[in-house]
Amino acid sequence: MIVTPRLAVRLALIVVAAVIVQVSFFSYLSLLGATPDVLAVVIIVLGLLGGGVVGATCGFAAGLLVDSVLLQTLGVSSLVLLTIGYLAGRYREGFEISGRLTAPLLAAGLTALGAFFFAAVQLMLGVETQVSLLVLREILVKGLLAFILAMPLFALLRRVLRPGLVEETAGGGRRALSAARLRSQRRSRGAARLSGGIPPRRVRGETA
Amino acid sequence: MYRKQVRRRRAVLVALIVASLVLLSISFSEAESGPLGTLQRGVSAALSPIEEGASRALKPARDLVNWFDETFDARGENEAMREELAELRTELADAQQALGENEEFRKLLELEDSQAELAAFTRVTGRVIARSPTVWYSTVSVDVGTSEGVEVNDTVINGDGLVGRVSKTTRGSAQVTLITDHRSAVSARLLPDGPEGVVEPEVGDPEDLLLDFIANDEDVEEGQILVTAGWSNGRISSAYPYGIEIGRVVEANAGEQESFQQVHVDPFADMRDLDLVQVLTGGPERPGVPK
Repeated sequence: MIVTPRLAVRLALIVVAAVIVQVSFFSYLSLLGATPDVLAVVIIVLGLLGGGVVGATCGFAAGLLVDSVLLQTLGVSSLVLLTIGYLAGRYREGFEISGRLTAPLLAAGLTALGAFFFAAVQLMLGVETQVSLLVLREILVKGLLAFILAMPLFALLRRVLRPGLVEETAGGGRRALSAARLRSQRRSRGAARLSGGIPPRRVRGETA
Repeated sequence: MYRKQVRRRRAVLVALIVASLVLLSISFSEAESGPLGTLQRGVSAALSPIEEGASRALKPARDLVNWFDETFDARGENEAMREELAELRTELADAQQALGENEEFRKLLELEDSQAELAAFTRVTGRVIARSPTVWYSTVSVDVGTSEGVEVNDTVINGDGLVGRVSKTTRGSAQVTLITDHRSAVSARLLPDGPEGVVEPEVGDPEDLLLDFIANDEDVEEGQILVTAGWSNGRISSAYPYGIEIGRVVEANAGEQESFQQVHVDPFADMRDLDLVQVLTGGPERPGVPK
């Protein structure tokens, strides 16, 4: 993703909005015994759209913000969210997101992994009481809910971030390129396709 | 060029992981009034009006979604509730008779009524504006803080019973650690004259609390009500005042190899659906409970 200042502002607004909606709305819901984790899904989608660095940075910021808002122990949510954001981004950089179900399936898997990682960190930090097996059910249901949430969120966030999306390389993989290299490729290959590309003259930022 | 990007990507990842671990470490070791805590409270205070607005605006949508979930659950519970209602009618008649006798005994013994003890506190009503998304932190944020007289360790209740206690405060908001949080432990007494134990949660199951330290030879029956013990020995005391209802015993297992029973308690307050709560501020000083 080509992170221009305008796009950085959009990313920041998305992260803040996701945190507010999570703590004020989704955290109150109990569906099949679990709370939907929309924040994790948003970070995964940002990783899938923007790459590893964008996913990790947004995950770190979102975790820091949610822990601050709820006056919780700082660092735990950041660690978990940056990990799943980075993994989603790495997938994006290495593989094609071809099918319609690819993003929801990845969101489901990574959200469940994030919940599992969060539980592991908590257990390492020390839990003084018994832990119910229902925690496992919660992790699985969170994954299922993430699958459902990822479909509309992926479409919505792709639309919002369209100006900065990554182009496809000749090999079929997707890589983020610098503005200079973008122009060079255009010259050498004639008409390099830009998926929702931004005109090169407007590019100021470096690639992520 | 590509190698440079890979190096930079790895550097950013490592920097963020290290920053998270440093924050985690400082967060654990730092005092409440440290710079990181102050910054955290500042961010929380700045965002609490937005949370409050969002919470109010989204409440109808929240209620709608929860209504579907609760309706689904209620179908299965309907039959059990009918049976319980029949039992409760019988118990009510007995209880009314006992209540009259109890009042007379109280007058005779000049015992302090639990309601009288609670009357010594000032009740500050607050609205829940945010809650933690994971089962590992059973905490909520309320829209009342130090400016309304709320202090750390103040007891929080709602119309059904005990909810938790204040664990952190800002000027306009406070964090409440619920009794279903894994860091919570409440000294409790079984009514009418049962033994005292400690109520602890079971992480992952907000509808089940465990009453610990009840000896195997103690007689515990299903349906017994649990209230806060409110003990004090002059130097240290329980964080909660006496007589706040916590829940009802649903199961008691006395294992042969164990010295204590496994007593399961269903909390009266529904922790998943908290909206308005009351913070008990002021009141008599409780020795050993920091404010």
